[in-house]
Amino acid sequence: MEIDTETVLKIAKLSRIKITDSETSDIQKDLNRIVKFVKKLAEIDIEGTGEFSFGKTYLKDMRQDSVTINDATDDILKNTKSKNQNFFTVPKIVE
Amino acid sequence: MNKLKLTELGIKESIDLLNKKEISATELTNAYIQKIEEGSKLNAFIEKTFDKALMQASAADNVIGTEAQKALCGVPLGIKDLFCCKNIKTQAASDILRNFVPPYESTVTQKLWNEQAIMLGKLNMDEFAMGSSNETSIYGPAINPWKCTGSDESLTPGGSSGGSSAAVAANLCAGATGTDTGGSIRQPAAFTGIVGLKPTYGRCSRWGIIAFASSFDQAGPITKNVTDSAIMLKAMSGFDPLDSTSAKIEVPDYEQALGKDIKGLRIGLAKEYSLQKSNSEANRKLEYAISLLKDLGAEIVEVSLPHTEFALPTYYVLAPAEASSNLARYDGVRYGHRANLDTNDSIIELYEKTRSEGFGTEVKRRILIGTYVLSSGYYDAYYKRAQKVRSLIKNDFDQVFKKIDLILTPTTPTSAFPLGSKGTQDPVEMYMNDIFTVPANLAGLPALSLPVGLDELGLPLGVQLIGDNWQEPLLLNTAFNLENALDFERKPQNWWA
Repeated sequence: MEIDTETVLKIAKLSRIKITDSETSDIQKDLNRIVKFVKKLAEIDIEGTGEFSFGKTYLKDMRQDSVTINDATDDILKNTKSKNQNFFTVPKIVE
Repeated sequence: MNKLKLTELGIKESIDLLNKKEISATELTNAYIQKIEEGSKLNAFIEKTFDKALMQASAADNVIGTEAQKALCGVPLGIKDLFCCKNIKTQAASDILRNFVPPYESTVTQKLWNEQAIMLGKLNMDEFAMGSSNETSIYGPAINPWKCTGSDESLTPGGSSGGSSAAVAANLCAGATGTDTGGSIRQPAAFTGIVGLKPTYGRCSRWGIIAFASSFDQAGPITKNVTDSAIMLKAMSGFDPLDSTSAKIEVPDYEQALGKDIKGLRIGLAKEYSLQKSNSEANRKLEYAISLLKDLGAEIVEVSLPHTEFALPTYYVLAPAEASSNLARYDGVRYGHRANLDTNDSIIELYEKTRSEGFGTEVKRRILIGTYVLSSGYYDAYYKRAQKVRSLIKNDFDQVFKKIDLILTPTTPTSAFPLGSKGTQDPVEMYMNDIFTVPANLAGLPALSLPVGLDELGLPLGVQLIGDNWQEPLLLNTAFNLENALDFERKPQNWWA
């Protein structure tokens, strides 16, 4: 199934990326090229195959869930364009 | 030794001269600084940290010859812009991270500084490591130091670690860090005639490396030779409590593993990894490498990895899916670019406008396709299916490694191509570059690219060795043997200075 214009706009919305009317058609073409390429996966028999995992090497040495103090508030806030005291600020969310 | 020659040295050779006090770390660092300034046309360094470098060099000079001296003391390195470095601008070559200054250091770079290496600056790359030519960088592409014989056309240094490969190949640093999600260390190394190693998944900590596709991303060294790769890998590797996917497996002394003979080693050639043009110089170079390995006592065995043709489609479902999730954090609120808003704009407009302005075309494309394959109605057909195919691909390798020790393949289908020549009409054309490198990432296996000679255009070609999990010592030693037998000379024409 081809990705239609409506689907492009839907996934752009889900991705929180604004796309203009003039961009839509090029993006649609590119996405369909990629989808056509990855459709090859439909050819393969995956009956009885499990999903990939790295096995037992990983995630067995989880660190303790303990409190660490990281007093870097000022350093972290240096990177934002919009703050008020020790808070990031965003457009008003509640009425 | 004159200044120009100093920068031709590799890591090991530099350490030897520093230890003999024939040169100082400050002298070596100044020689590289001069080379970087002269090599600005290569567009490899996008952030220079010369003041820091000279301070580190002075500190190194104070400890050389004392008990406080560490393994990389006084060695000047370049760092891919994907590694967060404390108080140094780090942008992943993206506009969405414009002027981001991390308040912390990545584990891998911290380990390098703990070994007293010197930081020359940050290196160019494809935006968020998404690309195979360095052309998606917000800074414009790094340029390959090599050119076709008789041509002035600018070539790609490969991607995504194109700044790293250009800088190392042109002697702008003694070695560099890279990251490899689908070939981003090995392909640039092949395109520039140097050595690139992607370690086993979990060998190096991913903490502080800006995430692209977390189940694929691995850091690794990009160096002038195999010995340097072994030295750098040791410094970069090890378990990190801050990355739960880093493995608690002892780090061997990789340099110690070099120099053993490879008699009786079983090396597999997979028929699925053949080059299209059998009568090409690339094929002849591959055959030559095979004949040298035989001369060294290795046994060449034909093997089959039957699901190889599904590797790229699998990768181009899973990697964008992971990217779409990882890159959700760029919202304009906490760091980087933030769009100017109209009076009545809501927080949704803040997100949408910021991301639309901040991400480049290829990054947006991958976020969109990743969102699509994860979205309701398509998840099973794409994402879940690709996860299962990834199992089949891993199983192919598991079966083959019961019979052989290593696999030998070409690193890339071609040598370096001209900038602007690929993927402008169809993004998939660029993705085909990763055909020989992606399977190792899907399976999490270590793989190394070694220069094997020049093609008919006068450009370097690489061969790739793929090993089983944690077989970096064997991989490096085999590459070391082959490197000695090949006697490849890395000498791009010095057109940039």
